[in-house]
Amino acid sequence: MTLWPITLVTFKEGIRNRALYGITLFALLLFGATALVATMIPREVGKVSVDMALSTISFTGLLVVLFVGINLMAKDLDKRTIYTVLSRPISRSQYIVGKFFGMVLIIIATMGILSLLAMAVLVLMKMTFAADFFSRFSWQLIILADCLVVLMLILLSAVSFLFSSFTSSSFITLVLTIITYIIGESLSGVKALVESPAQAVGFTVSPLTRRMVEAAYYIFPNLSLFDIKVQAAHALTVSSSFVIWTVIYGLIYIVLSITLAALIFTKKEFP
Amino acid sequence: MRRLLIVAALILAVCLHAMALGKAADAMKLLPKDESQAFVLPSPLLKIAALEFHGIASDILFLKSTVFIGSAVGRKEKAGIKEWEWNWYAKILDASTDLDPYFLDPYLYANAFLPWEPGKVEEANRLLEKGSRYRDWDWRMPFFVGFNDFFFLHKDAEAAPFFMEASRRPGGDPMLASIAARIAFKENRTETAIFFLEETVRMTDDQSLKELYETRIQALQSIALLERGVGLYKKKFGRFPSTVDDLVRRNIINQIPVDPYGGTYSVALDGKVRSTTSSELEPHISPLMRSLH
Repeated sequence: MTLWPITLVTFKEGIRNRALYGITLFALLLFGATALVATMIPREVGKVSVDMALSTISFTGLLVVLFVGINLMAKDLDKRTIYTVLSRPISRSQYIVGKFFGMVLIIIATMGILSLLAMAVLVLMKMTFAADFFSRFSWQLIILADCLVVLMLILLSAVSFLFSSFTSSSFITLVLTIITYIIGESLSGVKALVESPAQAVGFTVSPLTRRMVEAAYYIFPNLSLFDIKVQAAHALTVSSSFVIWTVIYGLIYIVLSITLAALIFTKKEFP
Repeated sequence: MRRLLIVAALILAVCLHAMALGKAADAMKLLPKDESQAFVLPSPLLKIAALEFHGIASDILFLKSTVFIGSAVGRKEKAGIKEWEWNWYAKILDASTDLDPYFLDPYLYANAFLPWEPGKVEEANRLLEKGSRYRDWDWRMPFFVGFNDFFFLHKDAEAAPFFMEASRRPGGDPMLASIAARIAFKENRTETAIFFLEETVRMTDDQSLKELYETRIQALQSIALLERGVGLYKKKFGRFPSTVDDLVRRNIINQIPVDPYGGTYSVALDGKVRSTTSSELEPHISPLMRSLH
């Protein structure tokens, strides 16, 4: 198992990143805000608490991917430590895959801790407010939504690995990843918008735009698939086929991104 | 000495900072506010801009609307809440429920305000029908639509199916089904309206909304009492009383009920009872009176 040492080193390096302190502080503030906002809601306290908790996990995870994840890849290139790593008996693709597994471990570890905190906040809210305010509340769905958020973050991280395999600076990778995140989250909304009849939205869309959106829909990851926060907040039914296909879609996208990243990285010439 | 000077300057700066913040905030309140600021992004765009945070965006829009209603209802100015402000209120609640169509609170607030003071019954019902579609387990949504159809719009035939739907959903009062039949025969409008409002109070947890509805019930009950008295008077003397005081003088009722909105009652030529507060003085009662007569 040649991947394991790289995975472990990556994980340790990521966990030691100072940015995590700031991100944790930010998450704690948001969890504090949950209690504050929920008390301002007259009726659906449970729904708003779940909204806040899940959104905090998701947004904080995004910060981890963007500011810890991308740094991990870039540091080796920026500080030229990549030469010492690559002089060892491992291939470049092994290096990429090992690094990626390390990042997956970081995401799972940080999101695990955050999820526990979020659950604690929700338990606290349930204890403070009458059970009537939590009439539609489902731990299973909240945990499922949480797991899908983690899968989405891993996917985004895989895409950032793909970007860092061909860009020369971590800043470009950061920008590309943010753009991908925004496109990925809004793409299905944009697609619905351009496909809806003109009189419903108030403007006409040229066929070219429609085709471009269609193309983008298949190229960019559809991150909105992984967002079932509203369903979790209202304890609505989520079909198992939806979950299964979404997980398959996510895993395939991750495998494709990392494979492509490894291929590009193998061909890359270092300065 | 120099250190002292720096400290003094810092203290001065902090004081100036607090003063500037206060002055600027006060001045900002005085800036003209008009319709151009009552803009709510169209829902398809909001959905895209909210990325994966639809739930929270919906909560924030709802909180914005409650801040408005909280400050506006207590407003002392004579003009009260302006038309465009109500339009904005309807729009922001609509946007909030487009982002999260299962969110209960915006529907409850839409129903508590829109059909009453501003008379925006259609807007309220459009929202509530959306709520009824999504919250298909919630009997309140069709109940509200039915009530608004019956009470404000006098569309009894259209209201009945909504009451039937409400009686079928879990938690819905089975009585609603027979009420639906009763309104089809146009019996006892005022009493039926009181029953509906009492049903609304029963399901309302929010204290301020509860009080709002209870005042409306009280106003309706006073009118129902006087109308019964006028009916008895007509039976006894063959004509309508000219004032409500006639009812007391002839021992038909013990005393004139108090109008919770502070008006006095008069009897119209056709025997209908009106309150002076049904004019522009008090916006609460006018739609109520409009709908009764």
